[in-house]
Amino acid sequence: MRGLFRWSGKWWPGIIPLLILWGFAAWVSTAPLENDLSARSAAALKSAVLDRTKIAVDGRDVSLGAYAFSEEGRRDALALVAAVPGVRLVDDGTRLVAEAKPFVWSAERDVVRVTLGGNAPLPAVKAKLSEAARSALKGVEVADQMALARGAPPRFEDAALLLIGQIGKLKDGKFTISDGDIALTGMARELGGRESLALALKDLPEGFKIASNEVRAPPYIFQAYKDPVAVTVTLSGNVPDENIHAVVVGAASRRFFNEKVVDNLKTSLGAPSGFVNAVVPALGALSRLSTGTLAVSDREIKLSGDALYDEAARQIQSGLAKDVPQGWQVKAEISVKPAAAPVDATVCQQLFSDLLGKARIRFETGRADIDRDSAGLLDRLVEIALRCPSANIEVAGHTDAEGEEATNQALSQKRAQAVVDYLVKAGLPADRFTAVGYGSTQPVASNDTGEGRAQNRRIDFLVR
Amino acid sequence: MAFLIAFHWGWLLGALLIGLAMGWVAVVHRGPRVSRPVMLGLSALAMALVAIAITHVVPGRPGYWLELLLVMFVPYLVGCTIGSWLRALVVARSMRLGAAG
Repeated sequence: MRGLFRWSGKWWPGIIPLLILWGFAAWVSTAPLENDLSARSAAALKSAVLDRTKIAVDGRDVSLGAYAFSEEGRRDALALVAAVPGVRLVDDGTRLVAEAKPFVWSAERDVVRVTLGGNAPLPAVKAKLSEAARSALKGVEVADQMALARGAPPRFEDAALLLIGQIGKLKDGKFTISDGDIALTGMARELGGRESLALALKDLPEGFKIASNEVRAPPYIFQAYKDPVAVTVTLSGNVPDENIHAVVVGAASRRFFNEKVVDNLKTSLGAPSGFVNAVVPALGALSRLSTGTLAVSDREIKLSGDALYDEAARQIQSGLAKDVPQGWQVKAEISVKPAAAPVDATVCQQLFSDLLGKARIRFETGRADIDRDSAGLLDRLVEIALRCPSANIEVAGHTDAEGEEATNQALSQKRAQAVVDYLVKAGLPADRFTAVGYGSTQPVASNDTGEGRAQNRRIDFLVR
Repeated sequence: MAFLIAFHWGWLLGALLIGLAMGWVAVVHRGPRVSRPVMLGLSALAMALVAIAITHVVPGRPGYWLELLLVMFVPYLVGCTIGSWLRALVVARSMRLGAAG
């Protein structure tokens, strides 16, 4: 041991080559060492969720600059780098990503692209949303302008994905999530787009609600054209569903007794509220015109055409506005068809019989109120009566044989009177008409069958 | 430390070899010795450097170079010890042989 101590006194000259070797080692190994640490630090951070990660290595000291999405994530990232073998110190340059208040995200659609903007909570979510937009709209450019921010409401991703799934329904417009509130604006691609969006977004994740849906849709169109030459009524455009389709076609068939109803309607969502309550009276008004067009666009009803006489034009103008539900607008441009040439009494009788052979005046069951469906028919009866101003006319009411005769007689009398009242209201002189109730005394068919009884319930016009 | 050894084993081996050579030569070398106070001073310097390295006072590259120096110094000392000891063995043996002869 003493020898060792003695010899060590002479070891110093070796320090000179040692220092030279050291200098050389420092010269050669520094850069590879730093590269190695940098690469392994980056690899260690693969699993960490960070944004804008910067790793700088100086000797064995690593400066980590990054934006983390939670305090825990930030500490974990530092620990991961510190655990890399060979790293001596970790310089903490990490920060938390800014918190957005309110947390806003948007998807904007225009003709050529979809722009995703606002904030996304994590890089993975950002990428997922972007990818979802790409697959939802194949062939449409997706511009990802989302920034990263903390403060997203829970289940934000589900809500945003749901919205992206619906962006195809817009022609242009924007979906915005602001904390839990969703705002929808823009123009839907198809009729009923607004409603179908609302339906699709019915099952939003908890905590989210539709704060405003200002998506507009192309106008909801319904049209009817009465063609006196082809003797048709053509229905075209949209109806909300099959039930309403049947109601509308049924109403048209009853009111246009003389014309063939051509049904070109198609079913589509997005009808304005009160659609059927507006369209059915409007069809009634159209049925009173000799020729005319009904165009319903959203809540606007445009009716134009020729009424059969002056009073009818006035009634249609004022009546339709009252009949449609609140919030609907009526624009009626009704002119009056030139009066037809006068004819003598026998021709008049023939015309009455022909017309009443095609259709019967309808009343409400057991009552003397004229069914509104019969307004078109009555207008035509008025028109004929106007052509023979000198003829006196007996309006004869008949019933079937059901029930008591006295009741039937009274009902037939009242019904005949109701028709006379209608004629007088139309501007015809009251003294030309007599209302007579015959009860069931003059059947034209057997009262044993339903069809026969229906034929017996009638109003006849007899020129005297 | 394990990392430093693994990453620099070539250089450390070099330091060991220099140490071995120095130790081998030191036994029969007739040059001047380092006096005891200087030895103590050098030891104190070495301890101070070790302390500086352990407390990570020197940052970045200089800090790394200091560690590299200290890490290389260890095999050098080990080499010196082994070299001197082997040489001492050889010398003692030849002296015994010479005495016997």
